[in-house]
Amino acid sequence: MTALIRPLGALALSALAALVLSVALGSVTLPPDKILAALGGQGEALSRTLILELRLPRSLAAFAVGGLLAVAGALMQVLLRNPLADPYVLGLSGGASVGALMAMLAGLGSVLVSGSAFVGALVSTLLVFGLAHGRGGWTPARLLLTGVVVAAGWGAVITLMLAVSPADRLPGMLYWLMGDLSYAGTPWPPLVLLAIVCLLAVPLGRNLNVLARGAMQAAALGVSVRRLEWGLYLAASALTAMAVTTAGSIGFVGLVVPHMLRLLLGNDQRLILPACALAGGTLLLLADTLARIMIAPEQLPVGVITALLGVPTFLYLLYRSQ
Amino acid sequence: MTIRISRLLLTGLVLLLSVAAPASAEVCAVDDTDREVCLAAPAQRIAALSPGATELVYAAGAGEKVVAVVAYSDYPPEAREVASVGSHTRLDLERLVTLRPDLVIGWVTGNPPEQLERLEALGLPVFYIEPRSFEGVSGAIERLAILADTEAEGERVAGEFRDGMAALAARYAEAAPVRVFYQVWDEPLMTINDDHLIGQVLRLCGGVNVFGALPRLVPRPGEEAVLAADPEAILAGGMGEENRDWLDHWAQYPQLTAVARDNLFFVPPSLIQRPTPRLLEGSRLFCEKLERARERRGALGS
Amino acid sequence: MRRLEARELVIDVPGRPAGRALGVCVEPGQIWGVLGPNGAGKTTLLHTLAGLRAPRRGEVRLDGRPLAALKRRQVARQLGLIFQERHDGFPATVRETALIGRHPYLSPWQMEGAEELRLAEAALERLDIAHLAERLVSTLSGGERQRLAIATVLTQAPAIWLADEPTNHLDLHHQAGVMALLAQQAAEGCAVLMCLHDLNLAARWCSHLLLLYPDGEACWGPAEAMLVPEVLERLYGQRLATAWVDGAPVFVPVR
Repeated sequence: MTALIRPLGALALSALAALVLSVALGSVTLPPDKILAALGGQGEALSRTLILELRLPRSLAAFAVGGLLAVAGALMQVLLRNPLADPYVLGLSGGASVGALMAMLAGLGSVLVSGSAFVGALVSTLLVFGLAHGRGGWTPARLLLTGVVVAAGWGAVITLMLAVSPADRLPGMLYWLMGDLSYAGTPWPPLVLLAIVCLLAVPLGRNLNVLARGAMQAAALGVSVRRLEWGLYLAASALTAMAVTTAGSIGFVGLVVPHMLRLLLGNDQRLILPACALAGGTLLLLADTLARIMIAPEQLPVGVITALLGVPTFLYLLYRSQ
Repeated sequence: MTIRISRLLLTGLVLLLSVAAPASAEVCAVDDTDREVCLAAPAQRIAALSPGATELVYAAGAGEKVVAVVAYSDYPPEAREVASVGSHTRLDLERLVTLRPDLVIGWVTGNPPEQLERLEALGLPVFYIEPRSFEGVSGAIERLAILADTEAEGERVAGEFRDGMAALAARYAEAAPVRVFYQVWDEPLMTINDDHLIGQVLRLCGGVNVFGALPRLVPRPGEEAVLAADPEAILAGGMGEENRDWLDHWAQYPQLTAVARDNLFFVPPSLIQRPTPRLLEGSRLFCEKLERARERRGALGS
Repeated sequence: MRRLEARELVIDVPGRPAGRALGVCVEPGQIWGVLGPNGAGKTTLLHTLAGLRAPRRGEVRLDGRPLAALKRRQVARQLGLIFQERHDGFPATVRETALIGRHPYLSPWQMEGAEELRLAEAALERLDIAHLAERLVSTLSGGERQRLAIATVLTQAPAIWLADEPTNHLDLHHQAGVMALLAQQAAEGCAVLMCLHDLNLAARWCSHLLLLYPDGEACWGPAEAMLVPEVLERLYGQRLATAWVDGAPVFVPVR
């Protein structure tokens, strides 16, 4: 147990630090005493609005989305037995994007855009699952291939929609495609989902450790492989759908965070899953804070910042592990 | 007796005034989404979330009350000194909220709906404008003036605009139609149809938009479609207020009527592409250019 | 004590017509060897007996109960399988891999404790790879990988051992060691069934033999009855000369 506690404790501390930083910094500078007052529910109305209604929900949403994407990436990599998998490889973000863009084209409000994104994600999940089902059930290779092809199909539909949309709608659509935490409404659904997944880390994690050895080997050791793979697929899809519905398709976090943690912490999924939740959340928190303040009042797309932060860190870890 | 009568008159007058005057200083106006927006008191701190909205607020006489603008709010020049809250497609809500506006002027199709919904949730009144006709422009100025309690100035400017546009309409009512192509952008090639504000200006000046019948408000025809339509005159803006590159591009097709007669006219985009009083100036330019095209027609005997 | 029984079992090799129905019963204390040329279906049979593949006809029974009706976890506590091929998806240490063998015994929320660690260490020691405990599996040689796979099953401590060519990649010393280990398991009351391509190992160590012919034919029985040169020559399509060493027959291919 102690082997789990120490790294998780360190990650939890950095997550907390990132959260504090994210709430303390913004395009408007607030002195610490006002921030604390606002957090306690006191202080002037303006501070309370800035902290409690604008910054805190956005920060919590950023943490939740980052955690969800990283965990979904870790699950996908075990499911497909492929370290290059990320949460979007099975076409899920493509389906969600098509749903969201259609809602934007129709001029619907933001709640309906999120709802359409979720429906699109579901449709894509079912489509890939249905298509990949072959004689004898699906194998990771078949699932991956089907997912990649469906993702490409969605990509074509998205390009078409961008080409025919009226010019004034384009910026909104592009922001959604790049991923943007301004869309995040309430942070509670993604946070709750993340908490549930972390609670299931220990039982889920050991099954994943066994599954990572190969399906046959896992079956021989008592794992219900078909049920587990089904469950993994649905879980990863649900996590990704929630993340994409909340903040558009933010890339990079789901692919690289699990890898970085594996380089640092080894391969016990019972450690990796909660670690992904904490580290993914921290990364996105930092990226979103930078995106908000670097060229304020203009804002940068958060996906760019996650790549700028993540790529050198990853390369450094890779180099160090040789 | 006279004292009693005058006291009676005075009391009557006071009673009359107290009934006639509004119960509070509340001002109301209907915005372009057909919502009535009411403020408890006339707006003192206005946030204008598009360059066009900024111009309209200044035109309504409420320029001193503007506390927040967005990028590219460059007219009138005083607007450049006002604090910016990002671009109209991505607002910096923190900065906007900190400036404590009591009225936010939004743009229906241009501003991000989720951000404006967030502003409304925070209790800020949002007044949407999106003029789609000449009357829409003057009406917007008047309604903004009501909300800012600058009705005198607002009505004056709106009146000037109306009269100017009416004068143009009268002058060119019988003018011979000129087939026109108006270029909004070059890559991709974009134009406007008859429903667009600019399309209405073209009609006012006696122009016939070669792409007017297309269903989209901002269609994207290919270059071949323009060549096939062979407009008599090409009006275009450019990158910035003085760049003629787009027009020079057409010079490589000498068979185009517009090129043959040198009917390639540059109109600064900000005069015609914003739904503001400067549209009058832009319309005058448009009509002038089309008139020149008509003159050249006569000179060549076509 | 557990017995594994195949009833009217016809294994499913795709594209091949159904072979003879097998009626083999593996009792505790017995060491069964499955012999046959390449492609006869040895691995398929092993996987079918383990419940990982569905048979074309018939059923497998564990202690009288149909395998298909049992939960996988239950089966895994009694039946261990040494695979011929391994997948190394994600890096892991030798000790972690051996510990995986305890998975069927741990409840979902339970972490590996001192007892599990002790069993794993003992298994690694027995297979002579305890000094490699911290190494990554991907850095092991073929023989060391093989011994790790066996150690994992030893950690699992099943009552029935199914092994697919357990002596692959092993040098002579370790081959003998592994066969001795399996014999010891049988002596302690386990039932052992293994596929072997080395006829002589089977002759030396197995108490019973199952011969699988490429055309689907099969015969089985006590080793002495099966180790008849004519039968073996027909099995392998190869002439053999017999010698006797240390009380057990040795078969040598001749031209």
